[in-house]
Amino acid sequence: MNLRMIGWSHHEAKLDVRQMLVFDPAQTAHALGAWQQRFPQSELVLVSTCNRVELYSACKDENRLPTADALIDAILSYHNLSREQYAECLSTFSQREVVQHIYRVAASLESMVVGEPQILAQVKEAYQCAQQAGTTGPLLHDVFQTALHTAKRITSETSLHKHRVSIPSVAIAELASCVFESFDGKYVLILGAGEMAEETLRYLRDAGSPEIHVVNRHEERGRQVAKNWGGDFHRWEDLWDQLARADLVISTTSAEEPIVSTEAFAEHVEPRRHQRPLFILDLAVPRDFSPGVGQALGIYLYSLDDLTQACQRNEAARAAELPAAEKIITEEADRYFANAHYRATGPVISELRRGMHEPKNAELSRLFNKLPELDDHARQEIEQFADRLVNKMLHPPLESLRDASQNGTHHGLLDALRRLFQLED
Amino acid sequence: MDSGINMICFGACYAIALALELSGLWTRIRLRRVACLMVTAAGLVAHTWYLGKRVAELPAAPLASHHDWYLLAAWVLTTIYVGTLFYYPKKSLGVFLLPAILALVGAASLAATKPLASFEAPRVWGLVHGVFLMLGTVAVLLGFVAGLMYLMQSSRIKNKTLASGRLRLPSLEWLERANSRALGTATVLVGGGFITGILSRLAQQGDRGFVPWSDPVVLSLTAMMGWLIIAEVFRLIYPAARQGRKVAYLTIAAFVFLILVLAIMTFGGDSLHFKSETIGQAAPTAGGPT
Repeated sequence: MNLRMIGWSHHEAKLDVRQMLVFDPAQTAHALGAWQQRFPQSELVLVSTCNRVELYSACKDENRLPTADALIDAILSYHNLSREQYAECLSTFSQREVVQHIYRVAASLESMVVGEPQILAQVKEAYQCAQQAGTTGPLLHDVFQTALHTAKRITSETSLHKHRVSIPSVAIAELASCVFESFDGKYVLILGAGEMAEETLRYLRDAGSPEIHVVNRHEERGRQVAKNWGGDFHRWEDLWDQLARADLVISTTSAEEPIVSTEAFAEHVEPRRHQRPLFILDLAVPRDFSPGVGQALGIYLYSLDDLTQACQRNEAARAAELPAAEKIITEEADRYFANAHYRATGPVISELRRGMHEPKNAELSRLFNKLPELDDHARQEIEQFADRLVNKMLHPPLESLRDASQNGTHHGLLDALRRLFQLED
Repeated sequence: MDSGINMICFGACYAIALALELSGLWTRIRLRRVACLMVTAAGLVAHTWYLGKRVAELPAAPLASHHDWYLLAAWVLTTIYVGTLFYYPKKSLGVFLLPAILALVGAASLAATKPLASFEAPRVWGLVHGVFLMLGTVAVLLGFVAGLMYLMQSSRIKNKTLASGRLRLPSLEWLERANSRALGTATVLVGGGFITGILSRLAQQGDRGFVPWSDPVVLSLTAMMGWLIIAEVFRLIYPAARQGRKVAYLTIAAFVFLILVLAIMTFGGDSLHFKSETIGQAAPTAGGPT
């Protein structure tokens, strides 16, 4: 079992760094395909979300497992980025740390908002994407499947996820409510029509009855979202008009550059607002609004990183549940490694059984040839006796092997069994 | 029989309530809000008792002197504060309202307790004049407090420091609305007080009546009312002044004028309001500052 992970997350890397490293689904598939050729013996999964970009690798042969440097280089060279700027703020894990980390990620313990539900689906999608790209195998399959199982167990056994909490919900409940007394009748502008936009709308609807307006480059998708939420769709060309009228803007586009620059905002929007307060939640990575927009009078601009404080409060409120969640993660990681080790002992156990049963069968044949007068019932009794004897003789060493594999100390025992019973390697 | 209740009783209660409110900014104290409510309620009862005692002693009270006038304004503001404890229990409004209440109580301790000049004015005019200006003062104070909170909340949101403390302020929308309403209400009430003051003056002197425009209190009050009217007109014709920080600035400016008026009223010994010392003591009537 050889595992390695390298990645950048919101804990160490600022938004400016993460937005340079992020992969969209098409890029993920393409990158995985390219890396498969570079690391042919390895299994690979890339998890890329707003808050993290992480590359997981696994290989049966320790010598062929990609080094951390090779994995870092794979990601940076894909984006044509220099190592100096990005190598300082990354995390590298190996073996058990990798398993515990992905468990924590899937259970949202590593999320900006602890307990947010989106990350589980994102981990699932990342694994499916790797499956489609053909870069997964039995090792990472086990890791990711048990990660999903652990996340579900934490959801059901703790109240960490009791209330639906995500970045949009924190943004609406803790920040937008400082600006607006109620969301009833507020002119809410949604830029982009992705999953995050819909998640935000869900919370807005719970909080009041705002007027929803959707602006999206892709008209069909934008109209669909507007229709789903009883809002109006506006073409991309109407962006400035809509910004001039809005009370609250939630931007979640996947544009690669800011769609609203400071200069454009000052020219097209600011003069028409007369300093009327506008709260902008820029939840996109990379940013949709240039940071300078937030300097304008009456404009309150929040990006993902700005939500950190609110999220930390959220995390503190759930701190009481964290020990229980951590305990589950430790249990599941122990179980995962025990199972993995036990699976590693499989070939030796099979050899051992074969080594015992073959002489048993040979001796039984010899006995039955010598005693041809035995009837079928007597033969059956003798066969059962021989089976029970072999099984009872095998039981203590197999139990010891099982115990040793639970603790991860089975390697010495395996060697001893191989030598004692002259098993094939 | 002397009940022993004096200004120190309710002043101390309000000071303890303020200390409790402030303590909430640093640490979590169980039942702090309940303790705050109980202490303020106790202060309000003592405050009411004290005003009642003043009415019993001086029939024209509680608007017969500057001292009573300040205390009545503080009483109204305290009642509003108690209301906010019920309606907005999670907001730190007391941090802003209680200092204003204590300032009014402090001003009352400095202000003269002697009856205001009546100049033989009809009692009703003096009463209406005093009530208008007292309520106008409360409105300006509320606007000032709302304006301060708006600027602070706006700054906290802008600088992304909302999570750094336990100060919980109302939303900008609520504060802006409170600001606008306080400014509009103050304009009407101060305007009403100003007009009734003139009418009172004319009524007491008949055809010989004249308005002492050069009197410091009248002059400063005229300036304040002029500012309030200008602010309202400004808000009507300039859209940006109807929302956001502009409204807060307008109410804070109104507060500066109010401080000027109150300072002259309290310390301006040569104002016509103090001439009662010589001519009005025998027959005190209700009246405000003008």
